[in-house]
Amino acid sequence: MTLPTFEMLVDAYSAELFAYLVRILREAGDAQDCLQEAYLRAYRAYPRLDARANVRAWLYRIATNLAFTQLRRRRREADWQVRADEHQAAADASTAGRAIRRLVLARLAAAVERLPAQQRAALVLRRYQGLSYGEVAAALGGTEAAARANVYQALQKLREEFGDEELDF
Amino acid sequence: MKNSTFEQALDELMAPPSAAVTARAQAALRRRLDAAAPPLWYDRVPDTPVGPLWVAVSERGLAAVHYGADAGAWLAALQRRGFGAPARSAEHTARWRTDVLAYLRGETRRLPAQVDWRGVSVFQREVLEAAHRIPRGRVTTYRQLAEQLGRPKAARAVGQALRRNPVPIVMPCHRVVAADGDLRGYLGKHGVATKAWLLRLEGAGV
Repeated sequence: MTLPTFEMLVDAYSAELFAYLVRILREAGDAQDCLQEAYLRAYRAYPRLDARANVRAWLYRIATNLAFTQLRRRRREADWQVRADEHQAAADASTAGRAIRRLVLARLAAAVERLPAQQRAALVLRRYQGLSYGEVAAALGGTEAAARANVYQALQKLREEFGDEELDF
Repeated sequence: MKNSTFEQALDELMAPPSAAVTARAQAALRRRLDAAAPPLWYDRVPDTPVGPLWVAVSERGLAAVHYGADAGAWLAALQRRGFGAPARSAEHTARWRTDVLAYLRGETRRLPAQVDWRGVSVFQREVLEAAHRIPRGRVTTYRQLAEQLGRPKAARAVGQALRRNPVPIVMPCHRVVAADGDLRGYLGKHGVATKAWLLRLEGAGV
């Protein structure tokens, strides 16, 4: 089996990886920087990649590691996202209904933000990026069972937090 | 009810970026990658009729062919041409190793001309592509080649460009000889002997 050319990897996966990074980082500028850094790393490492490797999971793994680094950096800058979202919620309050909707989303975003990074990534990879549990495990490290548990726990926690909200969406 | 509301909210939170934002990110990515050094794979072609050879390939095609037993200095020069750190790979070089060997054994008369010209000057590339247009079994002179390129006084520069050919055999600089029929020079340890051998292989009367 032969690996595809690197240019094919850009064509095939850059859009979905960008969407993934936007979902994890929740900021398009950061996601764009991360995407470039991920592909540059992949470019340098590609000649040494095992021909039998799952390249898609491999790219997700590189992107995930970079995204986690970015998240840690941000966490040091204290609840960055919560404030940004709530600020936006206030600014967008054109109607009461819309304001509530915004607020609910901001709360949910904050809850996602509080998830352990592994759970958060597992949830996004499985539910929104369409990776199999095997691929999630390959992208995040660890077993398929751990990937399943991470997705389950992430949804569990979010549901709990969401359930506390006495708001109609 | 609550559950589906939750899922709806989560889906909205996880909405993908717009096509325009994605296209912008992809364009920026391509610019960044174009500026980066491309990966390079190389491997040895042992036991050819002209001695051991090395080939190096990139994404775009053949990057270099080298006559000799040792690849160290050659690989360093390739990095100076702007390629990334080379990795030895039988797999990635398989097609070129097979093709070059088949050509040298006389099993095929054609070689693909897909070359990665990164780090090669425009003039040198023109010279080598002109050499590639010389039919198999024929030779031309340095001066004739210079005239073809519209630079009749540049025979010496043409010679220099051929002497530094990064992809010998594939870009057949061996088909260019001196006006008096002297083979003049060639690459590798056995230089002119190799050149004569290649020309005989191709059926040129030398």
